[in-house]
Amino acid sequence: MARSTSLLKLCVSGTSTVHSLLIGASLSALLMACGGAAVAPQELLDARTAYAEAAKGPAADLAPAQLDTAKQSLDTAQRTFEEDGASQKTKDLAYVAQRRAEIAAAEGGREKAERKRSASDKDFKTTQIEGLQKTKEQLAHEKAARADAEKKAAIAMASLAEIAKVKEETRGVVITLSGSVLFATNQSSLLPIARDKLDQVAAALTSQGFKSIVVQGYTDSRGNAAENDTLSLKRAQSVRDHLVSRGLPSEKVTAEGLGASKPVADNGTADGRAENRRVEIVVTPEK
Amino acid sequence: MKIRTWVYWCIFGTSLAACGGAPVPHDALSAAQADVKGAEVGGANENPKAALHVKLAKDAIERAQKEINDGDNEEAARTLDRAQADAELAMALAKEVKAQADAAEASEQVGKLKKEMNK
Repeated sequence: MARSTSLLKLCVSGTSTVHSLLIGASLSALLMACGGAAVAPQELLDARTAYAEAAKGPAADLAPAQLDTAKQSLDTAQRTFEEDGASQKTKDLAYVAQRRAEIAAAEGGREKAERKRSASDKDFKTTQIEGLQKTKEQLAHEKAARADAEKKAAIAMASLAEIAKVKEETRGVVITLSGSVLFATNQSSLLPIARDKLDQVAAALTSQGFKSIVVQGYTDSRGNAAENDTLSLKRAQSVRDHLVSRGLPSEKVTAEGLGASKPVADNGTADGRAENRRVEIVVTPEK
Repeated sequence: MKIRTWVYWCIFGTSLAACGGAPVPHDALSAAQADVKGAEVGGANENPKAALHVKLAKDAIERAQKEINDGDNEEAARTLDRAQADAELAMALAKEVKAQADAAEASEQVGKLKKEMNK
């Protein structure tokens, strides 16, 4: 601006001044030429750095258009610097060029993040599908296992039915074994044939699974009640011990003697008394 | 004489250029203002770096308006170029930060799902 004013003054002052003008212009041109190695303004240096950094980052592959715009801005600023030196115009153009480079870098970063998110979304869906497949397989496996267990239980119950009376009551599954099959008269030790039967019962209960078992001993009404209670308890314990010896968990199997307390038949007849002399195995099933 | 005529023409030409000057950069002003608004709506003020560039853009717009009032339209146009570049950068930074947050969130969700499935 100042230079234009002095040029005007020179023009106005006439012919002689024209020579001065020409000399001045020559000097100015010379100075400009000498100042070709002028120091680039900070704005241009920053713009160059910003562009170099953007070109090294993801923008090179993911935001090439924006990077090219930044390059063109930088070239314009560079050319202006070569023509005008560190003028305000050069600084302004360099400032814009720096921002363009930073925009390219940000666009590259955004694109990279969006691709990462897209990959994660895909991964999420794949994992979800795999999870559903796995759950489906697990359910099918569990269903098959349950069907198998039910089949085994049905077989076990059928085999039990051959040696004992099996009934489902509110207190659980009640397996009733006749006392005459298990014990000799007034004895609490198991007969050899009883052991075989109880082995089958133990096998059936093991395959079926249960929460708890109560072995209840009963007698007929003949004889002393206290002795009947004692005998019924001893018989229940013999059965309980045998079942535990065949692998049933001892903490889940208990015994109790109930004597003649709960007859299931008429104690007035021989057949009725025989039915009352019994051992009931009350099974509480697993829920 | 010839030289004198040339000098007059020179003065006339220079004065003409000074009077005519660059036109008032109305479009650039509107564009810069719109870009600032866009950046703000896009969440630029939620991120410190982006917010700084919104501020720089606003300052430049203010400066440009003064330059327009002073009749320095050419300089105002360049100042508005600065403002627009700052506003665009603010917007780009806001978008980048949001995309990065979304990516981190998605990655965390995948991690959680995989962990749950391996239980």
